[in-house]
Amino acid sequence: MAAAAPPALPTKLKGVQPLRTGEGHSFLWRRLHSLSGIIPIGAFLVEHIVSNFETWNGPLAYAQQVKFLNSLPLVRILEWAFIFIPLAFHALYGVWIAFRGRASVNVYPWAGNWGYVMQRVTGIIALLYIGYHVWTQRFSGVSLPENPAYAFHKVQVELSNPWILAVYVIAMIATCWHFAYGIWLFAAKWGITPGNEARKKFGYVCAAGGTALCFLGLIAIYSVVWKYPNAPIPSMAPQPAGITEPAPVVVTPGTTNPSQPGQVQ
Amino acid sequence: MAAVAKTIKVEIKRQSSPDAKAVTESFEIPYRPNMNITSLLGEIALNPKTITGADTTPITYDSNCLEEICGSCAMLINGKAMMACSALVDKLLGAHEHGQQPDLAKTITLAPLSKFPVVRDLAVDRSVLFENLKAVKAWVPIDGTYDLGAGPKQHPQIQEQRYPLSNCISCTICMEVCPQFNDATGFVGAATIAQAKLFNMDPAGSVLKEERLRALAGDGGIQECGFAQNCVQACPKGLPLTEAISDMGRDVFVQQVKDFFTR
Repeated sequence: MAAAAPPALPTKLKGVQPLRTGEGHSFLWRRLHSLSGIIPIGAFLVEHIVSNFETWNGPLAYAQQVKFLNSLPLVRILEWAFIFIPLAFHALYGVWIAFRGRASVNVYPWAGNWGYVMQRVTGIIALLYIGYHVWTQRFSGVSLPENPAYAFHKVQVELSNPWILAVYVIAMIATCWHFAYGIWLFAAKWGITPGNEARKKFGYVCAAGGTALCFLGLIAIYSVVWKYPNAPIPSMAPQPAGITEPAPVVVTPGTTNPSQPGQVQ
Repeated sequence: MAAVAKTIKVEIKRQSSPDAKAVTESFEIPYRPNMNITSLLGEIALNPKTITGADTTPITYDSNCLEEICGSCAMLINGKAMMACSALVDKLLGAHEHGQQPDLAKTITLAPLSKFPVVRDLAVDRSVLFENLKAVKAWVPIDGTYDLGAGPKQHPQIQEQRYPLSNCISCTICMEVCPQFNDATGFVGAATIAQAKLFNMDPAGSVLKEERLRALAGDGGIQECGFAQNCVQACPKGLPLTEAISDMGRDVFVQQVKDFFTR
């Protein structure tokens, strides 16, 4: 007798598939995406906007800030490990997340739903802007890590075009919004603010913080465009690639203090 | 004075079988005050004729209790996911306050939920929720070959937190309105996450807590939530769904970290 008929294959449901228990690593990637928006990208955004605020004190102050940042130890490794690579991951994974959502604000025009859509819209604005900004200010034109004195001038030339100025202002608002709402979403999704009241209160905190950060950034734009028109390039020694040692001090034998020759204490 | 016969205009998206093409039929039915959508569909079943007088079939839809407790009659009413039994015709026609007159020039539109496979007309297949509830073991394991005796005591404080979550009627409205619940993500949806919390908080059900938390970290799990919060806005039973997602998000994360270091 022939073997019994094989059991019917489990029929795949039509429509949205059920939960895939134990499959994939999307939990890890989604949580990394959420975290990377705050550390390191958000932390860098705050540093960047605070540093830009030095433009309020003029081209030399800004140049010194640029020089300071570029003299941090392992600065090129810091730049790739804590800015470029996390930013690229956050941006590309974020686009993938955004295009898998099905926005429905036309049917359900609720505040949280608008927040959901705006988080994706501002993220894409920020991505396009940052791509342009990193190319023009970091990887083309005069290289600022080696020539920090040109920093103010380079930005001023860029912002002299009113269209680019408008792009910078829009991108500043969009990026700060994305960061502030991102912190709020982080607290909600990671279970830091589960209660409705906690979420509401933390919403005010994020809104205040994001607005303050945005104003700092807009003031920096104001400084570059209007406060120091036609700013000169401050005179500043160029930043050498390596470390230069000062001239060695000749020590007289039998002396403990080079400035007091002959004295032994 | 001859009174003009007052009627309600209804447009219904219909589909005779799962793979048939959807068509829209219009109906005009006599107005009575205080109708709901199920009574309106009942009127059509009494006299299944379209607005042009052509014979048609009664509308197929799921319903059972007619008092917003069984969860079967969710559908799109004027484009929004609602329970047909608790959707009042007068309100849909603009009479929100007592004594206001409904605007009978308006048309009510009915359609099946958009994210579930249509069975026929307004009836959809919501098995995905049942599969998801099975995946997170949304139950208390009390079956044995002998009498297991009395269960552990449940403190009233825990009971008070659990009660709102136990009100879920599995209507799937939270999933229908969720921008993340779709074919691309296969997101589990708010209802299942809330039920996992309900049973994790049960003194006897908590024995499966770790399994539930691991299940919710699989693909399509809690991480797909985008916190648009439509679920909590649309839930007809007012479940604290966003609170449940937030709490479970923390618990799932802690479980993943624990598993990473100790398993």
